[in-house]
Amino acid sequence: MAGKVREWVIDRFGLQPIYDKVLNRRVPRAHWYSGDGSTLLALLGIQVVTGAVLALTYSPAADSAYQSVVYLTEQQTLGWFIRGLHYWSAGAMMVVVTFHLLRQILLAGYKSPREGTWLTGVVLFLCILLMAYTGYLLRWDERAIHGIRVMLHMLVRVPLIGESLVMLVQGGPDIGPATLTRLYGFHVLVVPLTMFLMVAFHVYLVVVRGTITQAERTQLVHSAEEQKQLYDEEKESPERGETFFPVTVFKSGLTATLVIGVVIALTVILGPSKLFAEANLTEASIPSEEWWFWWLSGMIALLPPAVAPWFVVIFPLAVFGFLFLLPLLDRGPARGVRNRPLWAALVVIVVIILLGLTDYRRRSTFTGWPESEPPPVPVGMTLPPDAERGRILFAQYGCNSCHPVAGHGRKFAVDFASLQGQMSRDKIREYILQPPAGVKMPSYQGRLDDDQLTALVEFCHVVQTFPLQP
Amino acid sequence: MIDRRKWLAVLIQGGSAVMAAVVGIPALLSAISPGWRSRPGGQWRTTGRLADFPLGTVQPAVVKVGRGDWAQTLESKTVYVYRLTDDQVVVYSRNCTDLSCPLVFDAGSECFFCPCHGGIFGKDGKPMAGPPSKPLYRYVTRIRDGELEIDLHSLPPMT
Repeated sequence: MAGKVREWVIDRFGLQPIYDKVLNRRVPRAHWYSGDGSTLLALLGIQVVTGAVLALTYSPAADSAYQSVVYLTEQQTLGWFIRGLHYWSAGAMMVVVTFHLLRQILLAGYKSPREGTWLTGVVLFLCILLMAYTGYLLRWDERAIHGIRVMLHMLVRVPLIGESLVMLVQGGPDIGPATLTRLYGFHVLVVPLTMFLMVAFHVYLVVVRGTITQAERTQLVHSAEEQKQLYDEEKESPERGETFFPVTVFKSGLTATLVIGVVIALTVILGPSKLFAEANLTEASIPSEEWWFWWLSGMIALLPPAVAPWFVVIFPLAVFGFLFLLPLLDRGPARGVRNRPLWAALVVIVVIILLGLTDYRRRSTFTGWPESEPPPVPVGMTLPPDAERGRILFAQYGCNSCHPVAGHGRKFAVDFASLQGQMSRDKIREYILQPPAGVKMPSYQGRLDDDQLTALVEFCHVVQTFPLQP
Repeated sequence: MIDRRKWLAVLIQGGSAVMAAVVGIPALLSAISPGWRSRPGGQWRTTGRLADFPLGTVQPAVVKVGRGDWAQTLESKTVYVYRLTDDQVVVYSRNCTDLSCPLVFDAGSECFFCPCHGGIFGKDGKPMAGPPSKPLYRYVTRIRDGELEIDLHSLPPMT
């Protein structure tokens, strides 16, 4: 009976050809790390399911969006878990898609006959970036509103049509309710529909054209025909080939399970991303992008003023221009790591730069900010009365908005504790009144009376004897 | 026979293209239409009475935006008013000129700090540090019956 039902289902739903052509096919042996594509597919599945649940509660109207996210997180049964999963799975996608992309560059996965797979992949990469960015904005907290403005300010830099682009994205002459509705439509309809089509195409091409194999990585391949011959020999070989289902699927499933395990652990331990105050254009705020864009922010912070305005337009165009043209730019017969040391070096350099910039942004030593608290005096030390008054003035006159004191406070400017007594009182006084040209410090000429100046100089002088903390 | 096939194919392709254009072009135009909406100047809003801003200082002021559309979100906006003399006044937008992050004015050091990429501006609006290359945005101002007013649309749309 059960057998008959099974046969009926297989026949009437046309499952046999799928089994024969997709599951029960021979493929070249896969490595554990080639499960990154399947992992992305699984993470996308999580995004679709959790996203659908979020959309059932989320209010895409600017007056109530924030409250609906608060409700989701605090009131709805397991709402925090769904939001957390959506967030961490998005972060995991950003990491895994970067790995996936760099791996293809490392091994030359874009070479013939896989140009189509590569190009649909680049479109998907762009879609994932857009999703990761617009999802952050839908929370409609103050970070979201400043995040939108940063994007708009990048768009306004586009020559000739800049202002039109800004109005197009924000939905009118001012940032307002239309802005959120447009971003919502973009995040839940426009980009996901594009992704759906592209994923289907991408996966189809992976089935038809396969992924880069061991043989291709070791010997030179001059044409698509040569590759196809090599591929067919490899997949049919008992040692170098395997059956897609269950062998390959099991290996990639293992990678996906591992990553999803990390996603669930992060969700349970850290929960969904923090919500800040509701979107507003009035309160002081220290916005920050999500951690997966820290590298970009760190890079922008390093830009000299002459470069900064056009960089934000040129850089994304250059990156995607490079990615789209890569199959045309690099058409040599060599594939794999060993035959292409320059490409391997390029990928290693990119990874080092990404990690370095991420850390640079994490420390954000380039940001000054008002601090009302006077810097602390090291334990066991008492300051002379003049210096003590100077310590209060140090905060009152915003010196500590930039200068750390023995490692405390903002790290933008020089920490006097690190000078170890090299700066005389006269020199300090001179600096305060008229900083040398090129020093990024305002002049205090005319702002302090003699008494105050003396006190401040005393404090800056005595700080040089403070123990420098690591 | 082959001719008939060819003609059918042309008909199918042409017909599909026409259908796609009939739906697609209006859809696209409607979707991107906010891009060319007019942005008339003269959106005057008050920042408060001029006399309330002390001479020589930079003070934040909250302006009611009054867009008049279907939601009351983002209805207020902070700007910075710098009163130089009795009747000379500058109103800065809170946008950093690098990427529009919200500046804060530090009365102690008399500098504007950007929280994002290290931009610092002087009281005079000139960039002192970080990536910004342009001085702070200044609204067009006027004084009416002692009220200091700014034209919201005198600055680019994302401000």
